[in-house]
Amino acid sequence: MTAATAQSALRTTDPVLQHRVEQFLYAEAELLDDHRYTEWITLFAEDARYWIPTRSTRTIRERDKEISARGEGAHVDDDHTMLCGRVRRITSGLQWSEEPPSRTRRLLTNIRITELDGGELAVRTNFWVYRSRLERHEDWFVGERSDVLRPAGPDAAYPYLIADRKIVLEQTTILAPSISIFL
Amino acid sequence: MIDLTALDASGGLIDPRIYTDEDVYQLELERVFGRSWLFLAHDSQLPKRGDFVQTYMGEDPVLVVRQRDGSVKAFLNQCRHRGMRICRADEGTAKTFTCSYHGWAYDLEGNLINVPEEGRAYRNEIDKSKWGALKVPRIAVYKGIIFGTWSADVPEIEEYLGEMTYYLDAVLDAYEGGIELVPGPMKWVIDCNWKFAAEQFASDMYHAPISHPSALIAMTDDPAGQAAFSLQAQFSPGRQFAGNGHGSGSFWLPEFGPDFQFGPEASAWQTGKREEVFARIGEERAHKVYGHNTVFPNFSWLGPPRSLRVWHPRGPGQVEVWAWVYIPKTAPEEVKEDYRKMSAFTFSPAGVFETDDGENWTEVQTVLRGWMARANSFNAQMGLGHEERDTHGLPGLSNDVFSETAARGFYQRWKDLMTGRTWAEIAELDAARRAAEEVPSA
Repeated sequence: MTAATAQSALRTTDPVLQHRVEQFLYAEAELLDDHRYTEWITLFAEDARYWIPTRSTRTIRERDKEISARGEGAHVDDDHTMLCGRVRRITSGLQWSEEPPSRTRRLLTNIRITELDGGELAVRTNFWVYRSRLERHEDWFVGERSDVLRPAGPDAAYPYLIADRKIVLEQTTILAPSISIFL
Repeated sequence: MIDLTALDASGGLIDPRIYTDEDVYQLELERVFGRSWLFLAHDSQLPKRGDFVQTYMGEDPVLVVRQRDGSVKAFLNQCRHRGMRICRADEGTAKTFTCSYHGWAYDLEGNLINVPEEGRAYRNEIDKSKWGALKVPRIAVYKGIIFGTWSADVPEIEEYLGEMTYYLDAVLDAYEGGIELVPGPMKWVIDCNWKFAAEQFASDMYHAPISHPSALIAMTDDPAGQAAFSLQAQFSPGRQFAGNGHGSGSFWLPEFGPDFQFGPEASAWQTGKREEVFARIGEERAHKVYGHNTVFPNFSWLGPPRSLRVWHPRGPGQVEVWAWVYIPKTAPEEVKEDYRKMSAFTFSPAGVFETDDGENWTEVQTVLRGWMARANSFNAQMGLGHEERDTHGLPGLSNDVFSETAARGFYQRWKDLMTGRTWAEIAELDAARRAAEEVPSA
């Protein structure tokens, strides 16, 4: 039996907790794939940050600079107000890059949970998001999400609030005309 | 190939085959991208010696390198031995560049300095001085912007920019210390011809109220703010400049400084800087020049969204966008943060404006698969015959902000180059056109 350490990639997580987190993330993905954006935005805490840093090809020696740091380039660097603005936009019927809307299907795997002090959870998820658009256009967005989940109140419809989300895409040059959907 | 001499650029008729024809595209690489001044980098990307970025001149990969003496040199990122890319990182810091195929090594200037097994393999008969990387022969640094060209006879950068310097300086000179680029550019591809994008940034304010109403909805929940575009279109005066293939267009600001797009930090900071900005670039220019801008052929920027970008061509049907956030170098950190966040929010590949531009261009390109769709001219005649010169306090040829004067100028310069005119001939043509011009002027 191998004991998980702080440095180890191996996690031993309570199966009930694992199940609860996975079901929450699947529900979130369903809201997005079903275009239920006004419901989706309620999953975010008021102090949430939604961040997609840019990325570049670097040598091994400079790999620590591969993913842009805070204060550097980002495809998205939203606070809650901005994220709400994007929801207003995508539901307006006037966002031509999503009107008619794209069809998306999200696959979430490799969900790894680390319990933080104070009851929050650090959750890393691998994702594969497929987008089919208009007649023949297709894109796929592949990467890892690092979320901080905060337990919601006892009466909440969903068990967690997303308090922070960092999305790292594998592509340095995004091979898509836009990231007009949420990841 | 289509008859390029028959194109009617000044009459505002566009043959759509210039966006789809492979032969036209290959000729563009040589005659447009091979002969124009191209944006390579900004000084702030290369703070110390040995710092490099890899960029493209058309489709040619180029290394831009800060030298030991502080100057910048650039050379083709292609090993002279068998054509491998010498350096395969996007950027970094280096002492030398060694090809990972057979090991030919180059110094920071691109000189060939080492060949493995030089004695045994080459009998010491190779003249390394003749096999350095192909150097970009002319580099010009204009107020921190590093331009390069393969052309021996293109005029110096100031002459090439011409009256566009007035519009470019509005961005570069507004604040003490100039601009810097935020590290970590956004890069993405759009399946459309590069000219759609470059020309739109020169000449198209007309699309904004129609293509981008949802951006205003994202930026504010106040209905008055959301109506900003339609109100501007109805009531705000604005002008579009055209010259030397370049273009710039702006609605005139009622008041320089306060801007609801930004957070309170940036809005308050730039309002507090008002007198300084007026002293540096003039009150009139501060109100009338920002907007959308292109330096021919493929270098563009936007004013308040603080997006600066290059449109790298990738075949007739694809463009690769490289976009940076540019910010006043001496602004406080919290102000820079405001600018960074709003630039990403508006004009990244996920930007609330940007995504709808790509949607337009990919649709146009897709429709052009049809022969009938390619068989009839597009209309770029907006404002034709209503140009003025040196009016409204703006230097050069201009028109209402809703016009396509800059598009016509863009395609005229494109045609001049594509039909093989030398730069000397183009200068003569421009002088003759100017002499024949019947345009009101101040």
